[in-house]
Amino acid sequence: MIDISNLELGIIDPDSGANKPVLKGISLSIKRGEAIGLVGESGSGKSMTLRCILGIEPRNSVVTGDIVLDGENLRTLPGERMRGLRASKIALISQNPHAALNPVLPIETYLLEGMADAHGRNAKAARTRAGEMLEQVGIRSVDRVLKAFPHQLSGGMLQRVVIAGAISGRPGLLLADEPTTALDVTTQAEVAAILDEKRRDLGMSMIFVTHDLDLAAAVTDRLAVMRYGEIVEIGTPEQIRDNPRHAYTQMLMSIRPTLNGATPQAHDDGDSTGVGHSAAGLPAETEIGSTL
Amino acid sequence: MAASETAVLSTAPGIPAQGRLASVRRRLGWIGMVCAGIVAVVVLAAMVGQFFVPYDPTVGSVTQRHLGSSAEHFLGTDQAGRDIFSRLIAGARTSLVGPLIVVVATAVAGSMLAFTAVWFGGKTDAFLGRVLDVLFAFPSLLLAILGVAIFGPGLVTASIALAVAYIPYSARVIRSVALRERNLPYVKAAELQGINGFTITLRHILPNVWTQILTGSTINFGYAIVDLAALSFLGLGIQPPAADWGLMISNGQESLQQGFPGQSLYAGLCVVATVAAMAYIGERLGGRAAAGRSKQ
Amino acid sequence: MRFLVHRLLALGGVLIASSMIVFGGLYLAPGSPEQFLVQGRTVSPEVLAAIRSQYSLDDPLPVRYWNWLSGLFTGDMGRSLLTQQDVGTLIASRIPTTLSLAAVAAVLIIVAGIGLGILAGTRGGVAARIVIFASNLGIAVPTFFAALVLMSVFSMGLGWFPVFGAGDGVVDRVWHLTLPALALSLPSIAVVARITRTAIVEESESEHVLIAVARGLPKRIVLWRHTVRNSLLPVTTAVGMQIAGLIAGAFVVEYAFTLDGIGALLVNSVQRKDFAVVQAVALIMVVAFGVVNLAVDLLYAVIDPRVRLKKGQ
Repeated sequence: MIDISNLELGIIDPDSGANKPVLKGISLSIKRGEAIGLVGESGSGKSMTLRCILGIEPRNSVVTGDIVLDGENLRTLPGERMRGLRASKIALISQNPHAALNPVLPIETYLLEGMADAHGRNAKAARTRAGEMLEQVGIRSVDRVLKAFPHQLSGGMLQRVVIAGAISGRPGLLLADEPTTALDVTTQAEVAAILDEKRRDLGMSMIFVTHDLDLAAAVTDRLAVMRYGEIVEIGTPEQIRDNPRHAYTQMLMSIRPTLNGATPQAHDDGDSTGVGHSAAGLPAETEIGSTL
Repeated sequence: MAASETAVLSTAPGIPAQGRLASVRRRLGWIGMVCAGIVAVVVLAAMVGQFFVPYDPTVGSVTQRHLGSSAEHFLGTDQAGRDIFSRLIAGARTSLVGPLIVVVATAVAGSMLAFTAVWFGGKTDAFLGRVLDVLFAFPSLLLAILGVAIFGPGLVTASIALAVAYIPYSARVIRSVALRERNLPYVKAAELQGINGFTITLRHILPNVWTQILTGSTINFGYAIVDLAALSFLGLGIQPPAADWGLMISNGQESLQQGFPGQSLYAGLCVVATVAAMAYIGERLGGRAAAGRSKQ
Repeated sequence: MRFLVHRLLALGGVLIASSMIVFGGLYLAPGSPEQFLVQGRTVSPEVLAAIRSQYSLDDPLPVRYWNWLSGLFTGDMGRSLLTQQDVGTLIASRIPTTLSLAAVAAVLIIVAGIGLGILAGTRGGVAARIVIFASNLGIAVPTFFAALVLMSVFSMGLGWFPVFGAGDGVVDRVWHLTLPALALSLPSIAVVARITRTAIVEESESEHVLIAVARGLPKRIVLWRHTVRNSLLPVTTAVGMQIAGLIAGAFVVEYAFTLDGIGALLVNSVQRKDFAVVQAVALIMVVAFGVVNLAVDLLYAVIDPRVRLKKGQ
């Protein structure tokens, strides 16, 4: 499905011209229908790997290595072909849905432009399909949600919308970048479950970026542990959990919360695609998600 | 002017505080250094220029009207036969003194209002806020013109009237910065120790908003040059026969229509060059331009 | 709705207070009110009596203020202290010039300011550098100097535009007002172009634009619907503030081009110490300034759903 080989990324400091390495030779192969978890701390390069796959790495960065998706090397594709692939074969679910959606356009526009403008479906069919997709991710008041603006919906509700948009084009590869981290603790599990279910139903491959080992273990087939821009260990969740080989993985396992029901600490993940967290300033009482 | 600029540049490395100067130079870039040169020349002209002018800037002769530039009159003469070059040099003083009055008055009154509002908070803050709202309702040049209408034209009245028009803007900015300081734990702690508000403001709040006041004043200085020149242009600022750039632009208006654009253009260029140079330096040293640039 | 009422009340309060300042200015002046109003001119006893009654100087201060204010509301703005003309009529004859000047200037600000900003923000490279440089220059050039340069180049030098007057009829008027409006709007065009460019550059780095690219949306949609459209929201406020600011810039331009607008009327009245006219014009300008600023705030609330939907609840 997708083969990443020897991916390197360095950020050029605009003042000194120094090259700061962020990814140091990532190699990873994912089979069709397989889900792989990228786990590691902030700044380990998890999210940057996803951005390289999509070709949306920061402007002042230098990337080398190959990313081959279904026989095409994404790093060398012409712009318009890459855009086509983003629209049809790869979908991204980012950390903070409130930042990911254009705040001044209604949900309907978000879904329709994904299906019609990017994907070439006709507008009327897309409208019907948008409604169906929302129902599929467990949203009942479809019409109200379609007409709502992002700031009127809760994070959980909005992330379902994003998932609906992401799977509507039946992409082969789903990139999930901490998709539940920014959500309420109560909705995290629901959203993760919906994502997991839809992915399996549609047989999509997935790269699931998270710092939460248990969550990753629950929704993926294999785990890749990242540190300082390198993958230090790859294995099934069971192997990683029961028999971690790398010292860093052992350390990660040891600091997991052990009490039942203990929740991971709030984690400010600076290396996600997130630029700003505009949702933080929005009042929670305006959400209509809770009444749906 | 070009000759004096290079003189300023070439003497710069000889100054003892070389490290600091080099860092300022790096931040300014070469355009910034040219701007600094322009400002230095203007300030120099304002301070000592009047002792070196070739002709008396306020005395002319009717037989010498509208002369073109020559060896005798570097930039020619105006409608009253006065030497334009001498008037430009002498005009630097009034063109800078006015804005200086404006900036100092604005900074002092603005900070005092802001500190009073911040320290007492509550009703005092709300009341002062309302007062500022009323001043905000006037476009600043209108407020200045009203002031001149009431107190009569002149450099000092025009400057003070303009300062009143600027105060709400500076007071609002300083208030917001001072408010942040006011709410910091160490200020609260000092208050609980019973140190009086005046002392705390002077010792803790003022030093922390100082840069803000200074930056604001730099920006105001540019606006004040333009606005005061506009008041002179309208005949409401400094009165003839004084040498002043705004007044020269205004005087030159008639000559311009008779085909002698020199006076207005030279005076106008002086205003533009000074304001642009100050704005550029302010922006570079404020660091905002640098931040904006690296983002591209 | 509550937002609107609240804002209207606030504006009303500020305007009342402003009217007190305009009215009270008379009493701040050195010397007695009569002395100030007459300004050393020799006037006949009848004229002096007329001035005393116009300002009801025989009544206590609050009554004077009330008479003056209620006079304004009924359209009676008193008489010029110099020519004895009715101030209301005088101003009414001058307003069309100022309004058309401001209208042409506003169009220039919107079209040229936003247009250049979009050009610089979306193209980058040489176009951006030229716009940035020109806008730095434009901000530094005082209106009156721009007026003189434009006049000497296009009217005196090339003879393309008339030097004076406001013209008759629509086409002639626009032709007469082009240079003054250009001089008036130049600094604003520079400011708006710069703000627009910055807003576009910032918006293009926002996460939702990055995500729009990642979703494979066509370039044109990412650029216009997500980047430019969003960045124009804050620009609206800036444009509105600049248009409100035209009221202040108009004095200078009208004076430079000898247009018979209310700005020039104000300046001439200050020069001739005709305080009755000064008061009336100043108050009209403050009202116009306040109304335009309010309109801008309301417009912003209407076009941004985040504000609109919050305020609506």
